Amino acid sequence: MSTRRIGAITRRLLQQFRRDHRTLALLFGAPLVILALLGYVLRGGGDVPRMGVVDLDGGPLGSVLAQEIERSSAVSASGMSQAEAEARLRSGEIAGYMLLPADFSNQVQQSRVVAPEVRLEGSQPNLSAAILQATSQSFTVLAGQAGVHFTPRVSYRYGGPGFDTLDYFGAAFIGLVVFFLVFVITAVAFLRERGQGTLERLMASPLRRPEIVLGYMVGFTVLALIQAAEVLAFSLLVLHVHNGGNVLLIFLLEALMAIFAVNLGIFLSMFASTEFQAVQFIPLVVVPQVLLSGIIFPVSTEPGPLRVVSNVLPLTYAVDGMRNIMIKGADLSWSSLQLDLAVVLGFCVLVIAGGTATLRRRVA
Amino acid sequence: MSAADLAIDVAGVVKRFGSLAALDGASLQVRRGEVYGLLGPNGSGKTTLIRMLVGLLDPDAGTVQVLGRRLPDLDLLARVGYMTQQAALYPDLSVEENVRFFAAIHGHQDGVREALELVDLWDRRRSEVATLSGGMRTRCSLACSLVHEPDLLLLDEPTVGVDPQLRRQLWDRFRQMAAGGRTILVSSHVMDEAERCDRLGLIRSGRLLAEGTVAELKARAGVERLEDAFLKLSEAAAG
Repeated sequence: MSTRRIGAITRRLLQQFRRDHRTLALLFGAPLVILALLGYVLRGGGDVPRMGVVDLDGGPLGSVLAQEIERSSAVSASGMSQAEAEARLRSGEIAGYMLLPADFSNQVQQSRVVAPEVRLEGSQPNLSAAILQATSQSFTVLAGQAGVHFTPRVSYRYGGPGFDTLDYFGAAFIGLVVFFLVFVITAVAFLRERGQGTLERLMASPLRRPEIVLGYMVGFTVLALIQAAEVLAFSLLVLHVHNGGNVLLIFLLEALMAIFAVNLGIFLSMFASTEFQAVQFIPLVVVPQVLLSGIIFPVSTEPGPLRVVSNVLPLTYAVDGMRNIMIKGADLSWSSLQLDLAVVLGFCVLVIAGGTATLRRRVA
Repeated sequence: MSAADLAIDVAGVVKRFGSLAALDGASLQVRRGEVYGLLGPNGSGKTTLIRMLVGLLDPDAGTVQVLGRRLPDLDLLARVGYMTQQAALYPDLSVEENVRFFAAIHGHQDGVREALELVDLWDRRRSEVATLSGGMRTRCSLACSLVHEPDLLLLDEPTVGVDPQLRRQLWDRFRQMAAGGRTILVSSHVMDEAERCDRLGLIRSGRLLAEGTVAELKARAGVERLEDAFLKLSEAAAG
């Protein structure tokens, strides 16, 4: 062991990084950006889940309770009729509603049972949990009534007690896994083409730029589709992730994600000159999308400015689409799924055009 | 000489990279069926000129005509073969797969065997390129650039790092192809292979100093050796 030799390697490494401003910026900038983003998502004072209160109670306690929950800061509750509540639940405007039955006050006074009905949209576990917590908290106003049992009857429009965390997140992650891996492989493969000089040969041949991009796209899409099929089969058959929708629709959405990822990889590799630099795009491309696409934190409860960002991220629509299909059992007649598919398709077209446009410029 | 007899016609071409003029008013004419040597030191503009001939670079000024057509012209490139300085190949493909691929993107399906036999790699056709020696890679790269039977072959320092025996072999191939009517432009900074060209162009600092056969250049400089001729002619141009 020679400290001088070890020192030589250490010094050389630091010298290399000193010249690589991009890597330095990433090394010291990216953690702050990511943590700031995370802090903003969690503490940024975003919207609380919206819920409805349907008060059918003839007695006095119903309105006491309704007022209490409307005052809660954990949810944004408002009174509405049952028909309206059910309609809004279906459209996703509210994450759930509490129904106080006509004999609610009687029940409390005579049977000492508080039995409201809580109906949840159910596709996003964080929202469901927030609503359940807020409802049970609001019942503390009735604590003066000695010996009251709180036994809400919870029902779910989608999902339900039979769903576990994997059922909720599996849907989103099936899309994410394919997107992420395909993106990395394409970006690196395309850079290798440049690094080994073969791209120069391609450009000095009769090949047209779109032919190169499309050739890449088809080749990697074939691989990506096999991967997507594998991921899907494993998720459904081995992990038994819940699926209420059409497997072919899931596959269609995955295929679109794969095409998007391939072309994003080609497009972004134009802005890197080495594989090392390409790898640096991973945290920049992947982390914000994971935080902001609604996989973990529902987009509807994000702080306003972040919601704007989320709404222009392709992964947001892919995740929403996956949940629409697998949890809600959506088919092509659903306008929300149509939107998801259209947006992801639009992004595909965008990156194909972008990759083609930048190809020539970067080879010379 | 009529324009139809010219495989390459470059007139007053300028190419700047920032403040550096890689080509500074270079002009040259290569006749069909000849082996033309572009001779000059490192950084004299040889590679820039060749990349311009395949449309990888656009000139800032001047005109470039290849096989009688103005660039850029993608379809023209089907008739041009280009061998880059480093052996640009796919290391994880076999020799034959590489050659077949480059044939295909030029619109050719056959000729793979002929190309590989020409460079003595037919027996190694199943080897992965990553396992080949440097000289074999160079030959494979050459096979890739001529598999589509181009009318014009542009070779950027094809014999760098190649041993003398193989170099002689490659030059025999070049002469064969020229005899078959193809035009070849070879860049080099090695004087002894320049002697095997029909005509030479001496390039330095992005300009063509002199052009002619080996004998003509020697006579013009009044010296015995080509190397001396090159040095003398560059001094004369600088002075």
